[in-house]
Amino acid sequence: MSATPGAFARVALIALVAVILQLSGFGPDRLFGGRPDLVPLVVAAVAIYAGSVAGAATGFGTGMLLDLAVGGTMGASSLVLSAVGYGVGRYREVRDPAHGLIPIPVGALATLAWVTAFAAVSFMLDVGASVSPLVFGDMLLTIALNAVIALPVFALCRRVLRPALLVDPLDLRRRRQPPREAGPLGLRGLEI
Amino acid sequence: MFDSKVVRRRRAALAVFVGLSLVMLTAYFGESGGGVFHTLQRGTQEALAPFETGAGRALKPFRDLFGWFGDTVDAKGENDRLEGEVEALRKRVAEADTATRDVRQLRGLVKLSRQEGFPQGTEPVAARVIAHSPTVWYSTVKIDKGSGDGVKEDQPVIAAGGLAGKVTRVTGGTSEVTLITDASSAVSAQVMPNGANGVVKPELGKPEDLLLDFIEKGRRVTKGTTVVTSGFTSSKVESRFPRGVPIGRVSRVDLDEVELYQRVHVEPFADLRRIDVVQVLTSKGSPDEQQAEVLAP
Repeated sequence: MSATPGAFARVALIALVAVILQLSGFGPDRLFGGRPDLVPLVVAAVAIYAGSVAGAATGFGTGMLLDLAVGGTMGASSLVLSAVGYGVGRYREVRDPAHGLIPIPVGALATLAWVTAFAAVSFMLDVGASVSPLVFGDMLLTIALNAVIALPVFALCRRVLRPALLVDPLDLRRRRQPPREAGPLGLRGLEI
Repeated sequence: MFDSKVVRRRRAALAVFVGLSLVMLTAYFGESGGGVFHTLQRGTQEALAPFETGAGRALKPFRDLFGWFGDTVDAKGENDRLEGEVEALRKRVAEADTATRDVRQLRGLVKLSRQEGFPQGTEPVAARVIAHSPTVWYSTVKIDKGSGDGVKEDQPVIAAGGLAGKVTRVTGGTSEVTLITDASSAVSAQVMPNGANGVVKPELGKPEDLLLDFIEKGRRVTKGTTVVTSGFTSSKVESRFPRGVPIGRVSRVDLDEVELYQRVHVEPFADLRRIDVVQVLTSKGSPDEQQAEVLAP
C-alpha cells in the first residue's frame, strides 16, 4: 500500500469505526458469555492486505486511539497491537497466503496474540486484584467468536482498502489458478 | 523481498512504534492527573461521546435480540429462585417495617434531624451507559452525564439497586465510571446486621463474585446476609463511598484454618456485565463534606 493521504484516511476510518463499535458494546455478551473483539481483527486485516509496516502503523494508531478512548494506560495497547500488526504483515510477506479462508486462522491467531500479550502487559503493570481462571475462558470465547466473524470483517476491510492497495492478495490468487481446459485448436468450448 | 534497505526500513519502523509505545507508557505513569496524556484522554472521550451514543443506540436492538435467547434459557431457573426470594423478603419487610417504626420513635426521643434521600445528603442523577471498556483488565464504563449535570469525581454510582462503582473522570457532558469489578477497586464494607467490617475487592474474570476480605474469624458471617458500604476509610482502602449503599449478598464463606481472616464471597446486586442505565449519587457539597456529614454521629 502506498502512503498516500487517501490510504491514511481509509485506514483511519477503519480504526475509528472499529474502536467506536467496540466501545459501544458491539456483539452479544449473553448468548455465550463472551464478546468478539473487532480491534485485533481490523489490525490483522490491514496487515494481511497491506504488509508489515502498514500493519504495525495501524496497530500503533488503533492502540493509541483505544487507550485514549477507554482511559486506559497509554501505550499498552499500542505496544501489543504494533507487534500483532507487524507479525501478521510479515506472515503475508513471507508466506504470501492466498486461500480464501485465510482470514479465519489469521484472525484467531491475531486475537490470541492480542489477548495473551495484553494480559502479560497488564500483569507487568501490576494488576492489584486476584485473577480468576475464568479470565482464560473469556479469552478463548473471544478468540472463537473472532474466528467466526473474521471472514466478513476482513472482506469489509478489503473493500475499503482496495483502491489504495498496490497488490490485492485475492487478485493474485485468481491469477495463480490453472487455465481452463482448451480444445485442440486452443479455443475454449471445443474440447473433445 | 531480501533488499537490505527494505529490511532495514521495516525493522526501523517496528522499532519506532515499539519505542513510542514505551515512551508513552513511561510518561503516562510519570505524569499527574492533569498531565498531557490525561488531558488528551478527556478530550478524546468527549469528542467520541456523540458517536458512541449513536452507535450504542443503533446496536441495541441487535444486542437485545441475542440477549433475548440467553434470557429465555435463564428465565425458568431464575423464576423459581425469585419466587423463593420473594417469600423470604416478605417476612423481612414485615420485620423491617416494625424496626423502622421503632427507629422513628427513638429518633424523636433523641431529637435527631435527618435529611431525606438515599443515602442521606445525595441526589441521584440518572445516566445512560454509552461505552464499555473492551477488555477484562479494565472495568470502566462511560456515561452521558458530566460536570454540567452536577457529576463530580469520587461520587458513587449505583445500578439496579446496588453499588456499581465511582466516578473517576469527568468532562463537560460525559464521565468515566470505574466499576467495583476493576482491578484497582477496593470498597470498605460492612455485613448487615452483625456489623462485621471488611474490604470488598474484585476477582478479575468473575464479575458476579466479589471477595470480602479482612473479616476476622471471630465475626460470624452467614450466607444470604447483605453487604453494604461502611462509609469510612482505612489504610487498606482506596475507595470512598457514603454509608449504607447496598453492594450485594453473601453467597459463600471460606474458612481457612491458616488464615487470620475469613474469605467471604459476595454476589453483587447490580449486574455489572450488562449495565445500560445507572444513577450517580450527586451531592450539593464536595465529596469531603458529604463524607463528613455521613460520618457525623
